[in-house]
Amino acid sequence: MNRTLTHLDKLEDQSIFIIREAYSQFRDVAMLWSIGKDSTCLLWLMRKAFFGNLPFPVLHIDTSYKFKEIYQFRDMYAKEWNLNLIVARNEDALAGGLGPDKGKFRCCNELKTIALKQAIAKQKFKALYLGIRRDEHGIRAKERVFSPRDEDFEWDYKNQPPELWDQYKTKAAEEEHLRIHPLLGWREIDVWEYVKRENIPVTSLYFASKGRRFRSIGCESCCGPVDSEADTIDRIIDELRTTKVSERSGRAQDKESDYMMQKLRSLGYM
Amino acid sequence: MNAKTVIIGLDGVPYAMIKDFAASGVMPNTARLIDGGFFSPMRSSMPEISNVAWSSMITGKNPAEHGIFGFMELHPNSYRMRFPNYNDLKAPPFWETCQGKSVIINVPSTYPVRGANGVLISGFVSIDLNKSVYPPSLIPTLKEFDYRLDVDAQKAHKSMDLFLEDVEQTLQARIRAARHLWNYCDWQTFMLVFTGTDRLLHFLYDAYEDPNHPHHAAFVDHFRTIDGVVGEIAARLGESDRLIMHSDHGFERLDYDVFVNHLLAEKGYLHFKTGQDAIIENICFGTKAFALDPARIYLNYKGRYPCGTVEAAEAEAVLRDLESLFAALEIEGRKVIRSIHRKQDVYSGPYMDDAPDLLLIADHGFNLKGKAASDRLYSKGIFTGKHTYDTAFLLAANCDTSRLPAPPAVSDITRLFT
Ligand SMILES: [Zn+2]
Repeated sequence: MNRTLTHLDKLEDQSIFIIREAYSQFRDVAMLWSIGKDSTCLLWLMRKAFFGNLPFPVLHIDTSYKFKEIYQFRDMYAKEWNLNLIVARNEDALAGGLGPDKGKFRCCNELKTIALKQAIAKQKFKALYLGIRRDEHGIRAKERVFSPRDEDFEWDYKNQPPELWDQYKTKAAEEEHLRIHPLLGWREIDVWEYVKRENIPVTSLYFASKGRRFRSIGCESCCGPVDSEADTIDRIIDELRTTKVSERSGRAQDKESDYMMQKLRSLGYM
Repeated sequence: MNAKTVIIGLDGVPYAMIKDFAASGVMPNTARLIDGGFFSPMRSSMPEISNVAWSSMITGKNPAEHGIFGFMELHPNSYRMRFPNYNDLKAPPFWETCQGKSVIINVPSTYPVRGANGVLISGFVSIDLNKSVYPPSLIPTLKEFDYRLDVDAQKAHKSMDLFLEDVEQTLQARIRAARHLWNYCDWQTFMLVFTGTDRLLHFLYDAYEDPNHPHHAAFVDHFRTIDGVVGEIAARLGESDRLIMHSDHGFERLDYDVFVNHLLAEKGYLHFKTGQDAIIENICFGTKAFALDPARIYLNYKGRYPCGTVEAAEAEAVLRDLESLFAALEIEGRKVIRSIHRKQDVYSGPYMDDAPDLLLIADHGFNLKGKAASDRLYSKGIFTGKHTYDTAFLLAANCDTSRLPAPPAVSDITRLFT
């Protein structure tokens, strides 16, 4: 138990450091809030980092297709936490008939990317905080804590900062917006343990009903539920523990996988 | 005393190349074996990559029986990659079921090592020598020989000379270890796999084809050295002992790498989460199919994947659409995909559920890749050779080959000695 607490404390410290460090370099920033557990956890850390008052807006990309639970949750906590909430929608596309009823989820995708671009251009954000995690990406993660993107959202490989994962110090070039990933080192189970410890609210979609639950929502709101009986946070943690044991048995295993991937890649298999 | 069996594996070497080197005097010892033995083109596994092919060879089973379908798989109910290894092999390799002791050196897909009746040294993708050698008491000896688990292929991306030096040193160390184990171990079955051949073929297929290529001599010398080992071994065998030489897949010239996921994304079958990289981990709802390397096509079934989209009832229609899409694919006026296979036509066994729904075999010159995040449909990279399905080789001396189908497949080889 003690070990877990220390582990969470360390993650929390690191994330808060990244959040503050980034803010000291960029003032035109915003945080992307998908209302999912990761970005809500990030929001929680933000509130800790800035003592309850976020000095920048929280951006929600609204595709107009989201579960009603998500809207309810968003509006309730935006108010409770006194957030400067910006809801961005691609109104032109929506007016032009590009709705969830027509193109369904394919255009939902379109609506998100373009809406985000529009919001960044309009608000002139220089940097965005995102709640992505390295383990979502598997061991392939090439995301860094800070990762520069150019105006077309393409990776700017040449401008990748040479630092390793846990060193974070970089400034974006004038024309880019920078993405900051304070939760990068967190695993799915860390997020749930932190949600439990801090009593962070999450939407009911995560909890199993009729044998199914959502493992991710919000930004990925178009994803379907998975088979699960986990109807409480404790059960979700248990579920992740039992599946994770076989998935990743410690850091040594991860390192081996990295080597394997390197070897496979050098022969063109990745 | 039972007849002994010796197996020499040459990873990736095509039938035509052995025939060529045997005829031209590069491999005289191999030529002698061909004269008195059975020599034939051989089919690989589907897909035609080393870990699947070698798993099929050592178990005598197909992937739906031994559970290895590729270098990477997805974790259950997720899009996260994992790398299956020896622990994932669901059928026993021949050395765990046959009688007598065995010495097994450098068979791909046998990492991490586990106990064996004899000696086992893991092959590709082995990472840590301490987890690659059974019994572990052999590790100091192997270190003395400067034994290397594998060529460092990353060197080829930097300097071909450094790469060739590594290929040569790895080969020499492998031979030293094999000689030692041959002499000092008691064995009934001896298996030695050379994997530097596959590495050379990936990077220097052009050097094989072109006598004026600066690395042509190095390429040919590698095969000459291996033939020397074949001669050494043949000379030490008794009258009734079997000698088998074979590859796991063939090779041919590579014109273009073709990125299957790029095609799927372009045609609307594959979608990635907004603002995130186009990699398998970021697959999003609306995706009907995706590919894992090299050309294993999986339907994105509802209930099976987090963003599952395809209902069981529409699977047949999606498969048909995909089949026409792949059949029609052309690059520079050439047909890219030679044949398309449904899983039930190529696999059978208890692990059918893990099998890809479609398998693609490329036409000449095209190398199908499952890599996502490619910004174009096809390109030409550093590699000059590519794997082939139906041009591996099998050479068997002193074996009863009457139980082999024609042409044989890599999973038939164990019939020769078990
Ligand atoms: Zn190969």
